[in-house]
Amino acid sequence: QAYPLSALSKKQPTVLVICGPDQNGSIGLVCARHLRIFDYEPTVYHPKRSSHSLHQDFTIQCEKMDIPFLSYLPTEVQLINDAYNLVIDAMLGLEADSSNIKEPYSGILVTLKQIKIPIVSVDVPSGWDAEEPSQDGINPEVLISLIAPKKCALNFSGKHFLAGRFLPYDIQKKYELNLPDYAGTDCLLEL
Amino acid sequence: MNHSSAEAEPETIEPLRYLSKGDAAAIETELLRDYKFGQQQLIELWGQACALAITKAYPLSALSKKQPTVLVICGPDQNGSIGLVCARHLRIFDYEPTVYHPKRSSHSLHQDFTIQCEKMDIPFLSYLPTEVQLINDAYNLVIDAMLGLEADSSNIKEPYSGILVTLKQIKIPIVSVDVPSGWDAEEPSQDGINPEVLISLMAPKKCALNFSGKHFLAGRFLPYDIQKKYELNLPDYAGTDCLLEL
Repeated sequence: QAYPLSALSKKQPTVLVICGPDQNGSIGLVCARHLRIFDYEPTVYHPKRSSHSLHQDFTIQCEKMDIPFLSYLPTEVQLINDAYNLVIDAMLGLEADSSNIKEPYSGILVTLKQIKIPIVSVDVPSGWDAEEPSQDGINPEVLISLIAPKKCALNFSGKHFLAGRFLPYDIQKKYELNLPDYAGTDCLLEL
Repeated sequence: MNHSSAEAEPETIEPLRYLSKGDAAAIETELLRDYKFGQQQLIELWGQACALAITKAYPLSALSKKQPTVLVICGPDQNGSIGLVCARHLRIFDYEPTVYHPKRSSHSLHQDFTIQCEKMDIPFLSYLPTEVQLINDAYNLVIDAMLGLEADSSNIKEPYSGILVTLKQIKIPIVSVDVPSGWDAEEPSQDGINPEVLISLMAPKKCALNFSGKHFLAGRFLPYDIQKKYELNLPDYAGTDCLLEL
């Protein structure tokens, strides 16, 4: 929705998906697979793979859809700017400790702060504290919050989507989520 | 669709493949074993697609009764699980599904799907009225998620044989998941239930060759390699839709 095929500027609808080792990374893998089905051309960079079997299954599902996996991320920022239309940041989610980001993610974040193409972050922009907006972290154009937005997104200025229509009503009431209504049969909405 | 000639295109369009029971089983085995899809994953994807098909075939605004009630009859195996997921998504889409689930599988995944429905306040009937008029009056349509490919259509036991007798008499539309319950998977049925809508999963089955009702196909996630290997010749899905009408 944010970047329809027709709106992409490069000749090929290429998308770089950077996946971390935990759930956020798994979500990135599934996202890449669906993008492939929607006729985008995702490439995955997945530096540290979890040994969790579910995570490995998602990886194989991607490989079997002929989605290329990069063995390293170019540090030359212009190469990334030229090759891809956008970057999907599915590296670090809520479970990460933003005050102690290790390699290779710290290095990747340095690169991401310099690229010119849009970044789309899954749930929490990698490197941000989940409860405080970041001062000097990456600056995504689009944020896709899962289930409900996190505190760090309070004044997010970019395009903000909410994903998670399946959430049972009881949980919504219990946590006083006050989610807006989803339209029709959509599974996401724009905040 | 693919059956009509495509004069403008230089390549021949191959006809859509209708699967035998063995082919369908082989594809699913490959998805699970080689492509590492999880059973829960597949059932969730299919169940969601079924719910979307129902919203297309029977939009809320078009339902005749005051309440958007839907009866979902779930069998014990995968077809039933798909029915449970479908019911849950229909609830999210503001329909009012009621589930009739006479024989519950002990399979933990199936039980999980059942609990997910219960926690969405979806009522579960303890018995199905044999009085057909009660069903006609209470619900707008019935979703048949009882027996799928794994069932043996020549040997249908209770309670499904009884339910099928009832279904043959109801006046409200029936929507069948994958294979109309009671039909042989490879032959259209002479005296079985007569669904208005069929939602085929992955690819249509041989029994659906001359299906005269509304026929949907669900299963956009199918990897290209499998589509080629089994020469499925699936039509293109539109936009980001996960189902299409054949």
